[in-house]
Amino acid sequence: MNRKRALIADTFCLTKRRRCAADSVTGESQADIRSSLQYLVTLFSRKLFNDSLPPVVLKHQLYSLHNDKTSVDKQVNELRETGELLMFQLGFDSEAFALVFAEDYRAKVLQGEAGRGTLGTVEKFLTKLIPSCSDLSFNKEKMLKEFLFTDSEITQLVKSGVLTVRDAGSWWLSIPNSGKFIKYFIKGRKAVLGMVKKSKYSEILQTELEGRRTTSQVKFQMKYHIHDIIGAELVECIQTTSGTLLRYVDGNVN
Amino acid sequence: MLSFLYARQSGLDDPVRLRRAESTRRVLSLELNHNRDVDRIHGNGINTLDIEVIDGRYMLSGGSDGVIVIYDLENNSKKPQYTCKAICTVGRSSRHVHKFSVETVQWYPHDTGMFVSSSFDKTMKVWDTETLKPAEEFQFDGNVYCHHMSPVARKHSLVAVGTKDPKVQLCDLKSGSRIHILQGHRGEILSVRWSPRYDHILATASTDSRVHIWDVRRASGSLFTLDQHNGDKSKTSSEAVNTAHNGRVNGLCFTADGLHLLTTGTDDRMRLWNSATGENTLVNYGKVVNESRKGLKFTVSRGCSPEFVFVPCGSSVAVYGLHSGELITMLRGHYNNVDCCEFHPDYQELYSGGKDCNILAWVPVLRQPDIEDEETNSKRVKHCLYLYRSAGLD
Repeated sequence: MNRKRALIADTFCLTKRRRCAADSVTGESQADIRSSLQYLVTLFSRKLFNDSLPPVVLKHQLYSLHNDKTSVDKQVNELRETGELLMFQLGFDSEAFALVFAEDYRAKVLQGEAGRGTLGTVEKFLTKLIPSCSDLSFNKEKMLKEFLFTDSEITQLVKSGVLTVRDAGSWWLSIPNSGKFIKYFIKGRKAVLGMVKKSKYSEILQTELEGRRTTSQVKFQMKYHIHDIIGAELVECIQTTSGTLLRYVDGNVN
Repeated sequence: MLSFLYARQSGLDDPVRLRRAESTRRVLSLELNHNRDVDRIHGNGINTLDIEVIDGRYMLSGGSDGVIVIYDLENNSKKPQYTCKAICTVGRSSRHVHKFSVETVQWYPHDTGMFVSSSFDKTMKVWDTETLKPAEEFQFDGNVYCHHMSPVARKHSLVAVGTKDPKVQLCDLKSGSRIHILQGHRGEILSVRWSPRYDHILATASTDSRVHIWDVRRASGSLFTLDQHNGDKSKTSSEAVNTAHNGRVNGLCFTADGLHLLTTGTDDRMRLWNSATGENTLVNYGKVVNESRKGLKFTVSRGCSPEFVFVPCGSSVAVYGLHSGELITMLRGHYNNVDCCEFHPDYQELYSGGKDCNILAWVPVLRQPDIEDEETNSKRVKHCLYLYRSAGLD
């Protein structure tokens, strides 16, 4: 018995195309990515950080929800260009990018800065940044000439946490108070991966993993971590008759 | 399928369309066939394969034991069961065999009278196929990782050689000397490739994470370097500016029309570039597992409508759609790491070789014949006879 279903080229399956035209994967619009982002935002635990951090979603979590990575990348870039979404380099992995909705970011940063002397500079920076700029890092020339900031203002921005030092004369855009987030995230990811690895044959059904009791290491919701490890391809997703199976991929650095 | 044939016959469709559709269908149905085998000669892993371009009949393979074998791929036996026989071998007993592992072999692009092999014994040998003796031998200072001859060149016969030295050497087959050195890389050169579109464009990949595109007619440096961020210096840390990958770049492959270039790197990524401008097309293939410390040899299909990339990933060969970036399928069959693969464009077959000393032939599955139901057949015949008889009576 041939269990494999043969792969058919698009050109040959006219009837299949007509049937699937309604729910075709290739016809995704921006609204799909936005709704996926909003779903992932609900998985983010706000209370953990005492509401001081805007909801952070990682770009590769979107890959676990949508099949076509290239179109996900394209749509994320479109949202960034319109100024709706901001992307940050988190620092622990050169490929891990964090996405935050621009209004959330602005609200939380200003909330955190309220009552401090740096409020004015930060507000000026945000008004310059949000509508147009889609850079991840800034160098000194850009800050001084394009944005017309002075050296002392740049120091204030670094102190407030909006900029992080990248190397001499250039800075990453960053989320204030995100250090705790990164720490919990890495610990939680390691713990969840450990749970998958320790299972029999290093594989576990996704539904079973979601139901498992989490250790104190895992601060975020299980689903948040599961989307992360699937999207970053740290586990392999295999479709079985009992649901999705997650198998640990050997050769991981984490 | 019948609709395609009818459209071609009546002139509604271009003849190429049927050929492309059928080639794509065949590539999507690649699998191991128990009727097709390749003779097992190598005692150690197979590092490189090359199929000649003129007839597509003879295949060269180079192994880690320094042995070079030539196979006949054509099936003249009139039986479906066929083993591709090894016609001749440069074995360990030959006086001229390479001392260490053979890393790259390539047929002379214009006929099968000659082939070139390069090896870790720091030499590159040009062999005469009739006598299996080297007609020319080039000595280098370091291990030779790869070499390539331009498949379209008529005016020159240069062989580009990548060695442990950061300088790319160009050797001339006509004069037998090293005539040109391309400076620009800062690490070992793991892969070199001529463009199949222009005979003066050369791409080189190195351990310093950079890929340079050269015009060999120019005296000064490279034309441009491939930058994974397309000039957006803000996306990455300062050391990684202007690099093609975040690790060693160990695989290069041009598409058949030469308009795009694929590169693979040890950062587990594969990138597709526009070969004229050097722009990263940002097609996301996901994680393409790459642990090779030497060059990785992968290939692109030819003549299909969405082209496919065949990349060795661990002990299987991954098939990706070229422009969509989606993983179509994984071809599993090898027992150990796969090192090289080669696509046969005329028959849409894939040959892959690896550390398990096997060369596997992936053959498209033939269409299943329709099984006619016995009952309906006889009913139909009776109905026809009845119609004839009634027509005859009228």
